[in-house]
Amino acid sequence: MNLRHSSSSIALALAASLLVACQSLVGPPVSRPSPPPSQPGTPQPAPGTPEPQPQPVPPPPPAPTQPQKQFRLSSASAALVKQAHAQSGKGDFPAATATVERALRIEPNNPLLWIELGQVHLAEGNTSQAESMGRKAVALAVGDPNAQSAAWRLVGDALRIRGRVLEATEAYQHANQASPR
Amino acid sequence: MAKSRRPFLRRLLLPLLALLGVAVAGVGIYCYYLDRMVTRQFEGRRWTLPAQVYAAPLELYAGLALSGDDVEQELRRLQYREVEKLERPGTYRRQGSRIDVALRAAQFADEARPAQVLAISTDATSITALRDSKGEEVPIVRLEPLLIGSIFPIHGEDRIVVTPDQVPPLLPAALKAVEDRKFDTHHGIDPSAIARAMWANLRAGGIAQGGSTLTQQLVRSYFLTTDQTLSRKFREAVMAIALEAHFTKADLMNAYINEIYLGQDGQRAVHGFGLASQFYFGKPLAELDLSEVALLVAVVRGPSYYDPRRRPQRVLARRNLVLKILAEQGVISDAAAKAAAKRPLGVLQRSSGGYYPAYLDFVRRTLRRDYKEEELTQAGLRIFTNLDPRAQESAEQTLEHELARLDRAHAAAVKKRAAKNDNSQPLEGAVVVTTPQSGDVIAIVGGRRVGYNGFDRALDAVRPMGSLVKPFVYLTALKTKKYTAATIIQDEPVDVQLRNGTHWRPVNFTKEVYGPVPVARALAESLNLATVGLGLDVGLPNVTRTLMDFGLSRKPVEVPSMLLGSVSVTPIEAAQLYGGLANGGFRTPLRAVRAVISADGKPLRAFPLEVSQVADSESVYQLNRMLELVMERGTGRAARGVLPPNLVVAGKSGTSSDQRDSWFAGFSGSHLAVVWVGYDDNSPTEFTGSSGALTVWARLMASLHTTSRSPPVPEDIVDVPIEFTTGLRAAPGCGEDVVTVALPVGSEPPFKPGCGPNGAQGFLDRAGEWLRDMIRR
Repeated sequence: MNLRHSSSSIALALAASLLVACQSLVGPPVSRPSPPPSQPGTPQPAPGTPEPQPQPVPPPPPAPTQPQKQFRLSSASAALVKQAHAQSGKGDFPAATATVERALRIEPNNPLLWIELGQVHLAEGNTSQAESMGRKAVALAVGDPNAQSAAWRLVGDALRIRGRVLEATEAYQHANQASPR
Repeated sequence: MAKSRRPFLRRLLLPLLALLGVAVAGVGIYCYYLDRMVTRQFEGRRWTLPAQVYAAPLELYAGLALSGDDVEQELRRLQYREVEKLERPGTYRRQGSRIDVALRAAQFADEARPAQVLAISTDATSITALRDSKGEEVPIVRLEPLLIGSIFPIHGEDRIVVTPDQVPPLLPAALKAVEDRKFDTHHGIDPSAIARAMWANLRAGGIAQGGSTLTQQLVRSYFLTTDQTLSRKFREAVMAIALEAHFTKADLMNAYINEIYLGQDGQRAVHGFGLASQFYFGKPLAELDLSEVALLVAVVRGPSYYDPRRRPQRVLARRNLVLKILAEQGVISDAAAKAAAKRPLGVLQRSSGGYYPAYLDFVRRTLRRDYKEEELTQAGLRIFTNLDPRAQESAEQTLEHELARLDRAHAAAVKKRAAKNDNSQPLEGAVVVTTPQSGDVIAIVGGRRVGYNGFDRALDAVRPMGSLVKPFVYLTALKTKKYTAATIIQDEPVDVQLRNGTHWRPVNFTKEVYGPVPVARALAESLNLATVGLGLDVGLPNVTRTLMDFGLSRKPVEVPSMLLGSVSVTPIEAAQLYGGLANGGFRTPLRAVRAVISADGKPLRAFPLEVSQVADSESVYQLNRMLELVMERGTGRAARGVLPPNLVVAGKSGTSSDQRDSWFAGFSGSHLAVVWVGYDDNSPTEFTGSSGALTVWARLMASLHTTSRSPPVPEDIVDVPIEFTTGLRAAPGCGEDVVTVALPVGSEPPFKPGCGPNGAQGFLDRAGEWLRDMIRR
């Protein structure tokens, strides 16, 4: 399954790149921007109504221009996250939240911290904030497949617990596409 | 006759005796009543403890952009004293790039931390390492939060209660020596002191000296009014004796130290030495040195007569008298007294003492939803806020400085206006600074007179937002996917017939018509006609929806003029709206308060960070790229000369009709600031958003330790160079007036004729990148 996925994405990438290349060569005929291809990156869930047909999510063409990144925690953040895990373990979620927030003030653009904060919310049962934090992490994790995957998994977990199974499945698929595990 | 008198007298004697008996009994009962009352009240004494409000603590960690000098400045802000050799908490020692600090014990929202020693290593720009007393590296340490004020009740009594172990031993000794030499032995009153005072008063021909013991002073402050009548003196004496009979001297001394009145700050009455120490010196009582203790003891005699800030000479003389008495009484040595007498008063100026009424106002409003007024003013809560003292100071100073400059620059117009209106209200302003990712409000300035507790414009001035609304019109258009930054729209005359039959015919600021323009230029140059056309096309209800999603609190009247900013907001609301943009389409409710804990350190209430996505990342990224263009070449370009050369920021100016309101809202990678400038009476100003509020904004941003915007580029979005005027695709070295916009992949506009060869170049580049990418896989 995973293998098939990646081979098909390579093919797609090839096709997409050729297309783009041709377009540049010929000079684009578009006078009005054509509607962009469906964007699996941001599913807009219609609240309440389950998506009728979310299943066949087209694998997104891997953007060939995105540089690969790998987010890491600074040593200050790492220490705070460790402390937050201990607090979470004792069930003291407000303290854990406050501790991760201290790290976020230092590194607000680090998706790993938003994922941590989302995990605390998930553990304390605040699934809507967990989902939002996951989406925030997705937006920040561009270029880092591992972080992207973890962020989507958080979104998926939050949705699954809320019973939004189809959307959750979709999120898990994004997670797998970002970084198969 | 003489005979008949006797029985009369005898007859009179009996009732007289009875009367005397009743009187004695009455006095006895009264004394008993006073005794009971004073004992019960004193036993159950709980000072009403106003909630104490703290700024955000500064987090220190390796990599933080603070030089050694910066660190030192932060320590001084907390009144750490430089010493040769580290001793008690509250001191530091600097040796070049290394600073050793004896940190004070501190209470944070989530933990109490004991005093500890910390070694801070720095280089020219930042902290390189932190080590504890054993030399082990520590990843992160907080400085204690700055106390920025308290929420005191209407009657204005404010205090910080100290326990005996927080009192320097010198203080009780000095109080006894100066105010009540027989405190340790008397029973509440000191007849010899009274006699001495009476003699002095007789000689002076009025009341010049009080013979009150500390106990009497305590009674007076605690139970009685200060009128000087005989009956009050009597009650005071009885109650003092009663207190002495029931309580120990140590108890009474501690009560005195916490009770006594020591200063006034507007409506706020400073009670107790704990608060007085903060109020005059900005540090804990335990850290005061001899000259500082002597100053407080000097103030006891009359806090308004001996006001150290207003009457420094008078206070200096009395402080030195106190020192002399202390030496005479053998409390200190002559040498110590002489040395201390040479020291300056050392009292903080009020502005640096940190009193931020506009910020406290916001804190109070936040908490009023959860707490009753009495809880805030009496229960000794500790409130931890997001105030950043550095940012707050910058905001205050910048606003004050720039408004004065604007007043000078437009002096002629101001004079004319004053003559016409017969009033010369000064130009006013408001500033809100936030860190948008966390939703923290870190500074609020409510007006020009800093520290003046009056009309809070940041929270209460509801003003038309002018072009500040335009980004939300453009965002609504981008969200439809019908428009991109490069789409050509028409800037042409607009004529809308309103429901009441009148016609609305807006014009551009320049009164010109620009014809076909790319969306990016229409926003950067804030073209009114193009914006109205765009807004009408996407629909007013959709624009309203966007605004409400981003946090507009009142639903606006849906008329076409809302597209040009007839919508009214407060500066803090504008900060909320722009926060969603700065945050990539995620709305984060603004927070002044992080947490509230009880007097004994239990967590009571937390205000955690919340986010919700209100717009897709792609649309917001495209919009923000256009708002960067505003700064590069649009209405915000005047900021370029002020900001650090490479700092990438995004923003938008706003000017309401007749230039009554001058706005600027903008953000860097880490900070967002909204500035409003105008007159309280709503009269027109001499400038636009760009010439008024922008200058404040730019100088403020330049003064903050802020970072460039570098948001992640969403997948399916590419940066494309286009011609600013034609919207045609350009290429490096090809095209005029080239700017870079963000566009959805596949929506790139056609190349400018002649830039074709570069198109081929583009293809080669792309192919190369693609190949590299394939190989890396």
